[in-house]
Amino acid sequence: MVTFEFFVQEGCVPEESRARIVADIESVCAEVLGAEAGPVSVSWTVIRKGFGFRGGEPSTTSLVRSRIPDGHGSDVRAQFLRSIAETWCNLTGATEDEVIVSARDWSWAG
Amino acid sequence: MPFYRCLIPKDSLTYEQREEIAVAFTDVHCGLSTAPRSFVQVAFLETDGSGEVADSHGSGVLRYDTPYFIAGGNRAGRSEDTKRLILGGLIGKFSEIAGVPADMVSGRITEAPASWTMEAGRILPEPGAEADWLEEPAAAA
Repeated sequence: MVTFEFFVQEGCVPEESRARIVADIESVCAEVLGAEAGPVSVSWTVIRKGFGFRGGEPSTTSLVRSRIPDGHGSDVRAQFLRSIAETWCNLTGATEDEVIVSARDWSWAG
Repeated sequence: MPFYRCLIPKDSLTYEQREEIAVAFTDVHCGLSTAPRSFVQVAFLETDGSGEVADSHGSGVLRYDTPYFIAGGNRAGRSEDTKRLILGGLIGKFSEIAGVPADMVSGRITEAPASWTMEAGRILPEPGAEADWLEEPAAAA
């Protein structure tokens, strides 16, 4: 299973684009991690205007945090992160600097 | 990274307080580490008082029993002393700026390897290696 938590600043990701984002990210998961990665689950957290900051300034940055099955090497993980970031930027209009993507192993406890 | 989520009661902080806390968190984090200021993300989330929040850098949930909670997520690799100082600094500044007793604020920082995150199209550097990372041309990453 692959899970995603999307933390987005209010007004930066239109509601109507979310279904397409999820669909394209599901495709990235299948292409890069393989079908054995299993189903994809997504949750959205909208950070209200005036409630999100980066470096102490109002933020337009989205955080895409995922958990993926254990066992993927650094090359696959890097490809996964890059593909997710590119998909995100293409569909939201965000710049490369406005999205932070992570993928931690499913068993990682933190 | 770092990503600091402040779980707060509804309508408890003004915009000015939130901004001041975000700047203070950036000062604390960057004063105790070599991270550039642009790395520091702070979000304020008004809660329903459930007392738990999903861990952004580990698994499961973080539970708390104070009105205010700082759920932090950092790159792994810093000493226990540094981690303790960062969290203590955040709680102290939050308490001071929000005007609430320190025992009403708690927090926890969990971590994940730097190499598991991409920012600005590049894999993040290990703590302490930020200067080289910032000087590298983007294409080299």
